[in-house]
Amino acid sequence: MAERLKAAVIGAGVNGLVAAAALARGGCEVTVIERGAAPGGMMALGLFARGPHPAALEALGLKPGALGPAIPTVALCPSGRHVLVEGAEARFADGSAHPGAERWRVLSRRLDRFAAALAPLLTGAPPPMRLRAEGLPGLLRFALRLRLLGARDMRELLRIGLSNAADLAADALPEGPLAGLLAFDSVLGSRAGPMAPGTVVPLLLRRAPLRRMEGLAARLAAASEGKGARLRLGAGAARILFEDDRAHGVLLDDGERVEADLVLSSLGAAQTLALAGPALFDIEAQRRIGAIRAQGAAARVDLDFAAPPRLPGLDPAHHGARLVLAPSVQAVEPAYDPVKYGRLPALPVMEGRIDGARLSLTVQCVPHDAPRDRIVAATLAALETVAPGLGGEVRHAGALSPADIEAMTGAPGGHWHHGEIALDQFLTLRPANGMARHAMGPPGLFLCGAGAHPGGDVTGLPGLNGARAALEAMR
Amino acid sequence: MSRAPSLSGPLPGPFHPRLEAASTAKDWADWAGVLSPRKLDATGREYFAIRNQAALIDISPMRKYRIEGPEAERVLNRVVTRDVAKIAPGRVGYALWCDEDGMAIDDGTIFRLGPERFRLCCQERMLTWLIDAAEGLDAAVSDETEALAALALQGPTSFSVLEAAGLQVSSLRPFDLAEPEPGLLVSRTGFTGDLGYELWIATEHALALWDRLIEAGRVFGILPAGMEALDMARIEAGFPMTGFDFQSIHAAERPSRGRTPFELGLGRHVDFAKGHFNGRRALLALKEEPPKRRLVTLDIDGSRAASGALLYRRGMFGRWREVGHVTSALWSPTAKRNVAFAEIEGEAEGADLFAEIYLFKEGKWERRMARARPGPRAAFRPDRARATPPARR
Amino acid sequence: MSQARSYDAIIAGGGHNGLTAGAYLARAGLSVLVVERSDIVGGAAVSRELEPGWTYSNCSYVCSLLRPEVARDLDLARHGLQVIPYTGGASFTKGGEYFAYHHDQRALEREIARLSPRDVEGYERFARAVTRQCRFVRPLLLRSAPDPASFHPRDLGELLFLLRRLHDLGEREMGEAVRFWTASVGDFLDGFIEHPLIKAHLAGSGIIGTGLGVYSPGTAYVLLHHYMGDLDGAIGAWGFARGGMGAVSAALAGALRAAGGEIRVNAEVERILVKDGAAAGVVLKGGEEIRAPLVASNMDAKRTFLGCVEPGALPDDFLDAVRRFRIRGSSAKLNIALDGPPVFPAVKGEAPFLSGDLHASESLLELEAAYDDWKEGRFSAAPYFDMLIPSRIDPTMAPPGAHMASIFVQYAPYDLARDGVRDPAHWDEAAREGLKAAVLDKIEAVSPGFRGLIRHSELRAPVDIEREVGLSEGNIFQGELTFDQLLFNRPVPGWARHRSPLPGLWLVGSSAHPGGGVMAAAGANAAREILRDMKRGGRDEAAFRAA
Ligand SMILES: Cc1cc2nc3c(=O)[nH]c(=O)nc-3n(C[C@H](O)[C@H](O)[C@H](O)COP(=O)(O)OP(=O)(O)OC[C@H]3O[C@@H](n4cnc5c(N)ncnc54)[C@H](O)[C@@H]3O)c2cc1C
Ligand SMILES: Cc1cc2nc3c(=O)[nH]c(=O)nc-3n(C[C@H](O)[C@H](O)[C@H](O)COP(=O)(O)OP(=O)(O)OC[C@H]3O[C@@H](n4cnc5c(N)ncnc54)[C@H](O)[C@@H]3O)c2cc1C
Repeated sequence: MAERLKAAVIGAGVNGLVAAAALARGGCEVTVIERGAAPGGMMALGLFARGPHPAALEALGLKPGALGPAIPTVALCPSGRHVLVEGAEARFADGSAHPGAERWRVLSRRLDRFAAALAPLLTGAPPPMRLRAEGLPGLLRFALRLRLLGARDMRELLRIGLSNAADLAADALPEGPLAGLLAFDSVLGSRAGPMAPGTVVPLLLRRAPLRRMEGLAARLAAASEGKGARLRLGAGAARILFEDDRAHGVLLDDGERVEADLVLSSLGAAQTLALAGPALFDIEAQRRIGAIRAQGAAARVDLDFAAPPRLPGLDPAHHGARLVLAPSVQAVEPAYDPVKYGRLPALPVMEGRIDGARLSLTVQCVPHDAPRDRIVAATLAALETVAPGLGGEVRHAGALSPADIEAMTGAPGGHWHHGEIALDQFLTLRPANGMARHAMGPPGLFLCGAGAHPGGDVTGLPGLNGARAALEAMR
Repeated sequence: MSRAPSLSGPLPGPFHPRLEAASTAKDWADWAGVLSPRKLDATGREYFAIRNQAALIDISPMRKYRIEGPEAERVLNRVVTRDVAKIAPGRVGYALWCDEDGMAIDDGTIFRLGPERFRLCCQERMLTWLIDAAEGLDAAVSDETEALAALALQGPTSFSVLEAAGLQVSSLRPFDLAEPEPGLLVSRTGFTGDLGYELWIATEHALALWDRLIEAGRVFGILPAGMEALDMARIEAGFPMTGFDFQSIHAAERPSRGRTPFELGLGRHVDFAKGHFNGRRALLALKEEPPKRRLVTLDIDGSRAASGALLYRRGMFGRWREVGHVTSALWSPTAKRNVAFAEIEGEAEGADLFAEIYLFKEGKWERRMARARPGPRAAFRPDRARATPPARR
Repeated sequence: MSQARSYDAIIAGGGHNGLTAGAYLARAGLSVLVVERSDIVGGAAVSRELEPGWTYSNCSYVCSLLRPEVARDLDLARHGLQVIPYTGGASFTKGGEYFAYHHDQRALEREIARLSPRDVEGYERFARAVTRQCRFVRPLLLRSAPDPASFHPRDLGELLFLLRRLHDLGEREMGEAVRFWTASVGDFLDGFIEHPLIKAHLAGSGIIGTGLGVYSPGTAYVLLHHYMGDLDGAIGAWGFARGGMGAVSAALAGALRAAGGEIRVNAEVERILVKDGAAAGVVLKGGEEIRAPLVASNMDAKRTFLGCVEPGALPDDFLDAVRRFRIRGSSAKLNIALDGPPVFPAVKGEAPFLSGDLHASESLLELEAAYDDWKEGRFSAAPYFDMLIPSRIDPTMAPPGAHMASIFVQYAPYDLARDGVRDPAHWDEAAREGLKAAVLDKIEAVSPGFRGLIRHSELRAPVDIEREVGLSEGNIFQGELTFDQLLFNRPVPGWARHRSPLPGLWLVGSSAHPGGGVMAAAGANAAREILRDMKRGGRDEAAFRAA
């Protein structure tokens, strides 16, 4: 038997960690190279995780049950009649029945069915553009599941998959916080409003229950190490090394060379290209990579109070819940318009959580380099619509713009998904045409971050898929 | 402020006043947007000037790009399939380049003006391609097409013409270049397969150069020539031409029109050992497969040029089976052969081929199936093309 | 008035698609009656004389999408149709600059190079990408869309045809095709071209008639939809129907009559008769009943199924799907009789491109902002317009020396917002004047003195288009051309083949595949399906394939 393959993984975010575990399980000797002092990457900015995906957990050797309890969502409403959502169930936060509950349930179940049909496309190679071996099993399973949906659901999936979240909400729900929540989830992390065609897709990717993000990074890192991956923290990749047109290792900032037969990068495609040097790429590939849209629109805001902040109508028992301030589709859509012109909306939409005296928020519709104080001001203006006077109680406020996030994590444009999730950057076109199978040109080099198929959120799927593609290529 | 609308059609080039004056045929064509003579007087005469005396041909419409900087060589090596490092300063090299799928984009000549200075001459627009190739590399790309006029002086007396014009180029070997006077570049290159030179000069000095050459060439039989004569010479010499013998993949509406260097018979210009270049990985894979089709040269029975003819072989039950087509054809007045470039299916190589030629005979079309045999790549490439010092007549 | 009698087929609505379908059916030997609500046939393809001496193409105004196969089958030239191409267009800026589009390749190269030398190649790449996609899509226009959920051999056959064509593109082009279908026209152009004015000029085709912005996914396809026309083989070329767009409808009506079909105008269908669970004819306003076992509706899907079929005759889930069909008004039209030629001081002398499409939008973001207004229920403060002066080419459009301007305006909402309430009734005189002023201000800025030339003008807001042409909400395509409403999803999933759950009731207008524009494809496709159903075989499959 040959020597053990060596693999280097760049970045110890969720995807780097999952990729490392999967590679280790596949028999590789793995080094994870992380610039930061701690693993986790952008997980540090997140509040809630729907993952990792069971397939990624399996690679890590973790059990789904080990992630802690699912937490509910409270869709905030300026009227104070907030709506408590637990999966397919919705009622007013005060316990009374919500008139839209039944429609919410029907819609949730339908989306669950569609998501299940879509699942085979996410956990493997995206559907091939030509009929060939890789990707075919996934495609066939997908085709089968589509058929099993029955003609009606199948047609409906093919329609709404191409449709937009605002229309979906308008057809299925009364306008208000529930519809707003749907719209919010369809564009969370993206730079597009819910009226943009293609925004139903993220909804289908976000069906798993939410859990707290805290501690998850450490657990994933430990699990990855448990599988045999070596974490090399505190030094970034400075260059990806090649020999005879094959990836050969990674040169670190501190001068160390990590030899490797396989290099997997969880950075964006453009960042990876820069590390490898453009001369190794065909000009068309370089152009496609340059054209990837990755402008973040999500900011992180932390507000500290003297005491746990009080939101009228919100039971303190729900402080640990996911709070979503997106009171209607009509509120979400226009919040996106100013971003296109580099301006902050008057009333951004957001999700957050109260931890003791701190309100932590992910604020949407923030232009890339918006000034921090302006982000905080807009955030407070929006919060005031549900909690008048809240702004006056803030002791300390901190904000990270997408530009800050980019500087901190290296994520392209500070983008949540390392690249916009849109139909023209999805499946076979993610991150770009011709690169969906994680290979991006030079042999031995693979993409395994959120920018790759099937995209971001804490799922670990790009990492898992990237590792599988790399292992397959060595076979 | 108002302006006149952009003009339609081809516009006069740097030599136009002289071409216009020399033109008795008034037969103009559009070559890359420049008004160019198909012939000035009579194509036959102009062709024989190339083969017997010296012909002066305006080749300014060629695209000319300057690539300069410490990493200029790397930029070009990223683009073309050959190793640019092997072109020494003062030398010119033939090169072709491909897209990511290994399909030819264009071919042309690379002039190495200095260790870090190059000029690329070709048919297709390549500005943004080169600019993108230079991304991340220390080199600047600029378009010299309009700023630089170019003349081809081709034929057995071309060296004498230059000498008489006071230009010292006797030591130039084929594919050498020199700057006998500041601002005037002379290369021993050409598209005719004969002894010949190309001259490059800033547009504002174009007419003076023309006059000087015509004056010096008078006793050597110099004759201005048009595109048709040049085309005849290049077919005889076995030089395929983008847009005729193959389609640039960049210009093809049908992606299936792309052709690999192997299919074009240019595989020897692909250097896999030099590191990555555009399309290298695709070409590596293609190299292993037998080419689907091949650009070949044919020697066809009869004397009627087989332009546009479809090619057949005998199939089952004696039926004609179409296996290719002629891309350029010529009755070679010098080689006395009916020659053609043709694209044929891979499996038809070596088979007995027939060209379907239509003849218009006094008001009536007739069809002839003419036998087509493999021909030499060049029907005519005289030794004088390579002799250094060159012959004077 | 002729005595009520029965026919083999009634076409409800005499738009150009209804006339097309009727002509094909009549030629196959059916007795056909077209009933049209208005006083003339043509629907959105009509010519009217509102000012003596001036011809108004007062809805659609340029012609290229009309399928040549149909023109040939129905011999439209013999029935008077002539389409004259125009060869350019231009986008002007407030600052006195302009970009002219020329069909002449050299002039276009020089014009692009003047603004941005690098864009010459970018434009070449763009044009090639569009052409490749047009080559791929065009053959689908005159075929039926397959239902991927069906196991019917024909659906499987059509699906196979589609997949085979995709497959034949090769892997990379297939990816490009998918990208083209899903990208926004703005992102798509950003990938090729740098100069904002050139991009703005080209992007217009991606939003015309569409409730989407230049940066909304799916608009690259809308651009393709507009480029798909081919005047005499030149992809993307447009022309004027001599005598205005009514000439198209008149020629179709001529072909219909020549084949024995009848037309009744001023005959509004109030209801579609249902007998024994099948369509049995129509009831006109006023009560007259006309019977036919086959009713082909040229009205849009909503008007047909929600407005003209009695409740209970169609299944609820089908009706729900029809309600979900997006058909939003987003366009207005301004038609102006001019006393003289408008002057564009940026252009010295006479220029052929002034006979083409003229615009005054300077960047993609300006176009995007125009869309934001629409989303919120306002007409665009700085609208995109597509102005043509057909009288520069077609001498029948205006008296000698005088001119006609046909100005298509994007965006204008159907239900204008006022004080947070959206209602079509808000289109009062003041609103109309406001929109007109917004358009004329933009024109005046690039063509000073334009206002002074106006002799007569009419503004058609979406409500007017709805009222006069019967297009629901004034949507010019009888339903948005978003990808969830194209091919097998048009108008509703499962019913893409012109049929409806009510036997004998068919859809022949632009609500059906392949959508809007004066293309005559929906009518021709519907006729083919109907005849196939009757086993009459009309324009046969092979001929379509050859097309
Ligand atoms: C503000 C914000 C809030 C979010 N909230 C949530 C949430 O609540 N729930 C959710 O599911 N998702 C959330 N996301 C998205 C989610 O965090 C990402 O999609 C996901 O974490 C991406 O993981 P990754 O491993 O692909 O990339 P990353 O997490 O970006 O990991 C890349 C790693 O590479 C490292 N790195 C960069 N350059 C180098 C180099 N040169 N050498 C070595 N290492 C390098 C970085 O330090 C980083 O650790 C949020 C994103 C943002 C921006
Ligand atoms: C302002 C405007 C500009 C346009 N510009 C262009 C352009 O330049 N080029 C282009 O190709 N396309 C253009 N279009 C689009 C194109 O005109 C339409 O998509 C196309 O004409 C629709 O044809 P149709 O036959 O499907 O339907 P319609 O033309 O809508 O025909 C439907 C017919 O049914 C009739 N009808 C409705 N209800 C009833 C009833 N109850 N009883 C009887 N009859 C009824 C209507 O009167 C009408 O005649 C434009 C559209 C508009 C509105």
